[in-house]
Amino acid sequence: MELADRAVGLLLSIISLSIFTYYTFWVIILPFVDSDNFVHKYFLPQEYAILLPVYAGVTLICFLSVFIGYVMLKSKKKKA
Amino acid sequence: MKHIVKIMTLLVALSALWISLLQTSIIPESYTWLLPLYFIISLGCYGLLMVGVGLMRFPTCPHEAILLQQDIVEAKGFLKGKGVDIGSD
Repeated sequence: MELADRAVGLLLSIISLSIFTYYTFWVIILPFVDSDNFVHKYFLPQEYAILLPVYAGVTLICFLSVFIGYVMLKSKKKKA
Repeated sequence: MKHIVKIMTLLVALSALWISLLQTSIIPESYTWLLPLYFIISLGCYGLLMVGVGLMRFPTCPHEAILLQQDIVEAKGFLKGKGVDIGSD
């Protein structure tokens, strides 16, 4: 069990670090690179730097609301 | 209470810096608009990283446990002094 927890922790750390590195390159460093440089092939256009996080945030909030509603419904049923 | 003041000061300083970047337009405006989003995403990444590191190391806090036990004893004494029934231990 503890090994699984450690693996999940390592996975979370790696995911967060890689997202942070990629996004930093995308948003902070790419504006200072020439637009005909080969690096630009590895990144989506600039609009997606806004769209993807917004979509991710909206989905996250939707899931959270569904989960909270589910828990509230369940706890009310237990009381009655 | 002090912590929130610190955080608010940091936020105000960051937004002032951002607005000045918007006004002076050293870098293109479309990139300046991305910076708050970048800030939010780095906050999220920091949170995720802290959860991951906490899961990996899973630290125990013996010092805080002692302090908590002391607090419990103190609170029990206080409540007994006020005549509140808190059960026996």
